[in-house]
Amino acid sequence: MASQDEGQEPMPVKRGLIMHPSDNVATVLEEIRAGEEVAILLSGAALTIRAIERIPFGFKIALQDVPRGSVIRKYGESIGKASVPVAKGAMVHIHNLEGVRARGDLERSSVG
Amino acid sequence: MSFQGYVRSDGSVGTRNYVLVIPQGIISKSICEFIPGTKTILSVDHGSGRTANDRETIARVLIGLGKNPNVSSVILHAASPGVGYPELRVERLADEIASAGKRVEVLDPAKDGGTYGAIVKGMQRARQMVYEASRLRRESMGDEHLCLGVKCGYSDATSGIAGNPAVGYLYDKIVAEGGTALFGETTEIIGAEQVLAKRAVNPKVAQAILDVVAAQEVRAKATGLDIRTINPVPSNIKGGISSLEEKSLGAIRKAGTMPIQGVLQYAERPTGKGLYFVDNWMGHLSIFAGYVAAGANLVIFQLGGGGVAGRTLLEGSPSVVAPFLWTTANPETYRAAKDSIDFYSGTVIEGSETPEEAGERLYRTVIDVASGTLARSETLNYSDPIDMYLQEPRF
Repeated sequence: MASQDEGQEPMPVKRGLIMHPSDNVATVLEEIRAGEEVAILLSGAALTIRAIERIPFGFKIALQDVPRGSVIRKYGESIGKASVPVAKGAMVHIHNLEGVRARGDLERSSVG
Repeated sequence: MSFQGYVRSDGSVGTRNYVLVIPQGIISKSICEFIPGTKTILSVDHGSGRTANDRETIARVLIGLGKNPNVSSVILHAASPGVGYPELRVERLADEIASAGKRVEVLDPAKDGGTYGAIVKGMQRARQMVYEASRLRRESMGDEHLCLGVKCGYSDATSGIAGNPAVGYLYDKIVAEGGTALFGETTEIIGAEQVLAKRAVNPKVAQAILDVVAAQEVRAKATGLDIRTINPVPSNIKGGISSLEEKSLGAIRKAGTMPIQGVLQYAERPTGKGLYFVDNWMGHLSIFAGYVAAGANLVIFQLGGGGVAGRTLLEGSPSVVAPFLWTTANPETYRAAKDSIDFYSGTVIEGSETPEEAGERLYRTVIDVASGTLARSETLNYSDPIDMYLQEPRF
């Protein structure tokens, strides 16, 4: 069955922004619906990635699969690690990324 | 480039021209209500029961505000002359402010006919002082006389990708032209300190950056709490920021790319020009007064959006004698509070302007305001009290 959009003007490309070439997440510059493609802008080159879920404006999309415990990078630096396995195209936020700095709670559990 | 400023006898240059009445109280308020061109501070802390370190911080704020280039002269009200803590004695405050070449008048109710008498004397002196100040003309002065302070707040994804970079461009430009630029918020560089340390002018400054962050991280861990329940604050998380590290890496973009000359305490005056990191706290009632006491003659609050929904009026934070600008890159924030916001860089996200073009436009806005155009917050006659950054326990 043909999709509703067939034969109509193509949808304008939704945009995402990567802050550094080594990053494994990008920031979406408009709201993305599940299944939509996002064009990631990176110094002239464009990478296209399909979102597997809704991602609100300003939130992050995973550019590749990230195993649990692996570093998530933005601005070319660590912004924490994956607290669960993160699939390519998934939204990355507090449900699957945890910061590792200044964590008094971890300090306490490691002490006793 | 240059701006139109007020040249002071110590060579510093003001962007405003106020008579400052300190400290607070009914005497200051009475004077300021009747005499235009005066400013005072509202603070809840007079040093009572404070440690020597914290009392010295209070003194540093009061003296620094008095010496700020935006101040032409100062009226000091001696709350308890001769019997106060040594750090806060009126004679000491008066001498240090006067050392910057400013006229200082002291009101002493015990000698000036009681509280009523001190109010009358203060009003008479203040009228002379604002008249005197008004005779000074602005002159064209180089950007090396600008000293800026910045904080980012209610940060969201727009802050790190467009709002803070526009400020970063401005900071690079001011520093390149020989000016001074202050940034801080120690908790909000945790996770980004390694980036900043590489930009230090020498290994000593690099170590100082790492040391203040390590000390703050020790304090944070001592709480036994998950920092994410404290900072990023709920509005940051609602805006798409997922960890303190991510917030920090976005936050440092407001500091541009220039070398870091040193690490300063809260309200400490830099000894040279260039970019400085201030070991301070993010609270908006605290941070701006500290920058202005350190000599900032213009300050900026770079706003995200989470948590300010419904705020159609943004009052400035207390910056006492320095013009206070609101900037944002969040289109919803801008739409809601357009008449409070001095500069919008959401254009970078929308694709209608490059980051450099936005930064250049911010620079021109800053030059305009430094030269006398009112910051939007100056079109409101309102100030919250200041809350000085005092870190030791009270007894």
